[in-house]
Amino acid sequence: MSLPKMKTTEPLTMSDPPTGSWVSRLVWNFRHHPKRELWFAWWVMVIFYQLYGVLFFFVTRVQPPPSPAWDTPTVVRWFDDHDFGILAGFGVVFLVAGMCAPMNALLAYSMRRMSVSRLFAYSYLIIYSLAAVPGMLVMAIAMIVAALRPHRDPELIHWLYDFAFLSFSGTMGVFMIGSLVWMVAILLDKNRVFPKWFGYLSLCNALTEVVVAPAWIFHRGAFAWNGAIAWWINMVVFVLYTGVFIVLLRKMIQREDFRAGPLPALPDKGEAAHSDSVEAVR
Amino acid sequence: MTNLAGSRPQLEEKPTKFVPGQPDMWMFVLFESLLFTGYFSVYLVSRTQNEELYLRSQAALDLRIGVFNTIALLLSSWAIARCVKASREGAYRPALINASLTILFGVVFLVSKVLEWVKEIHMGNTFTSNEFFQHYFFLTSIHCIHVLIGFIVLGVVVYQLWSPVRRSQQLVETCATYWHTVDFLWVLIFALLYVVR
Amino acid sequence: MSTTFNRRLLIVWLILTSMTLAYVWMDHTVDQNGTLRASTVVTVSAIVIALIKVRIIFREFMEVRHAPAWLCRLTDAWVVLIAACLLGSYFVGSAVS
Repeated sequence: MSLPKMKTTEPLTMSDPPTGSWVSRLVWNFRHHPKRELWFAWWVMVIFYQLYGVLFFFVTRVQPPPSPAWDTPTVVRWFDDHDFGILAGFGVVFLVAGMCAPMNALLAYSMRRMSVSRLFAYSYLIIYSLAAVPGMLVMAIAMIVAALRPHRDPELIHWLYDFAFLSFSGTMGVFMIGSLVWMVAILLDKNRVFPKWFGYLSLCNALTEVVVAPAWIFHRGAFAWNGAIAWWINMVVFVLYTGVFIVLLRKMIQREDFRAGPLPALPDKGEAAHSDSVEAVR
Repeated sequence: MTNLAGSRPQLEEKPTKFVPGQPDMWMFVLFESLLFTGYFSVYLVSRTQNEELYLRSQAALDLRIGVFNTIALLLSSWAIARCVKASREGAYRPALINASLTILFGVVFLVSKVLEWVKEIHMGNTFTSNEFFQHYFFLTSIHCIHVLIGFIVLGVVVYQLWSPVRRSQQLVETCATYWHTVDFLWVLIFALLYVVR
Repeated sequence: MSTTFNRRLLIVWLILTSMTLAYVWMDHTVDQNGTLRASTVVTVSAIVIALIKVRIIFREFMEVRHAPAWLCRLTDAWVVLIAACLLGSYFVGSAVS
């Protein structure tokens, strides 16, 4: 059986996957499903965010962040309590950081599918690729360096602690610009790739990211890097926003028809079972 | 559209119940007001922990400026509400005038806010002075960002109303909904920063 | 232009403005010669009045009066939710301090 090439403008037709065991269906989908790259990227994104949550919140326990107001002995004690978690957790972060690539590519792909200029997709890719360096990797490096030699000069450890957390929180501006790029693309888009309310939610998310900017000034209070406003409220909105866009990207992939016009609505359950072999992949 | 009984065709009647503007904008309004409520709650809790400081600092604010700001924004909301009604009836000239008035009152608000900030800074009260002023500058700044975005939104209203080929009533209502949000957020901010004791 | 609508909007604006001016009187009765005094009554009244204004803005300016029941109930629920958060924060904070 041969599938029509994806580059033509003919409607997408697919021979059905073999109705055999799930293994044979999986193999068929792996080799022939036209949306396999998109689903792969989506799954990478889901797994990455789960890992990120587990690594940052439970293994390394750098989130929720400790206080910038601590004195040096307290900071050194904190590193002593967390040293193994930091070394192991960030070691894994170094391994899996590359998972950001398919994830950001999927988001950029969503912008390519829109009716707006391709500039949006390219800007977003550049911004988010660069943002991961200070926003995640620099923190990982600084923390591992601090935890590696516990008998290092305490002042140096405190320095690395400030460097790590300021790098993580302080570079929020870059992510914010990226969110705004995506938001403008969504609001201008005529292909209905995302609902307009998601564009407005992106604005809310971008605004909570603005709020992190004062973290470089304050050692304590609501605007410090661990503050009620600069961290807690920001994180709640971010988690909600991320959950929403993961679901919306899934819907986008289900609706994708590889054409250039408006994205069609989701098919009914009956048609979906017949024509979309996503079930086998999932 | 005639009904079967053969009576006069119904002209374009507005249904008695309608959602003003895009429902998407309403989701934004509700979400954003929850977000601000979060910020207000943080402010109120930290206020109760340090009442003396907050009362002393609040004395540096002039209630009359706050009242003036509030009235300016209420006038702007009134103007955009009139604009929406005028545009619904097809009276586009008055609608445009009202939209311009909205922008004017918005600018009055913005200018008086900036002047107030300058005044406070000259008095020595900056973002880093103390907790109260942290919250004051933060809440008023983030509200001003919304006002600035509001000018873009009002620009969309004027753009829509200008030419007969556009004039999407839904878009005008959506933008008006955004602007009213800016207004009611200020109503809350004013009460919490200037009036609460 | 239908004058009934415009008259209604004008009355709404007048009510909102007078509620704003009421704040000046409220604070004046509590403050003494420029020294501000803490007052639970003023705080709670300020918040309640602000929320009444917000509801009026919802219903009249934002035309929720003419909206389907679900939007009316949702915006009313929102006003109650914000009231609960603000008053709750104030009272819980006061109790803790």
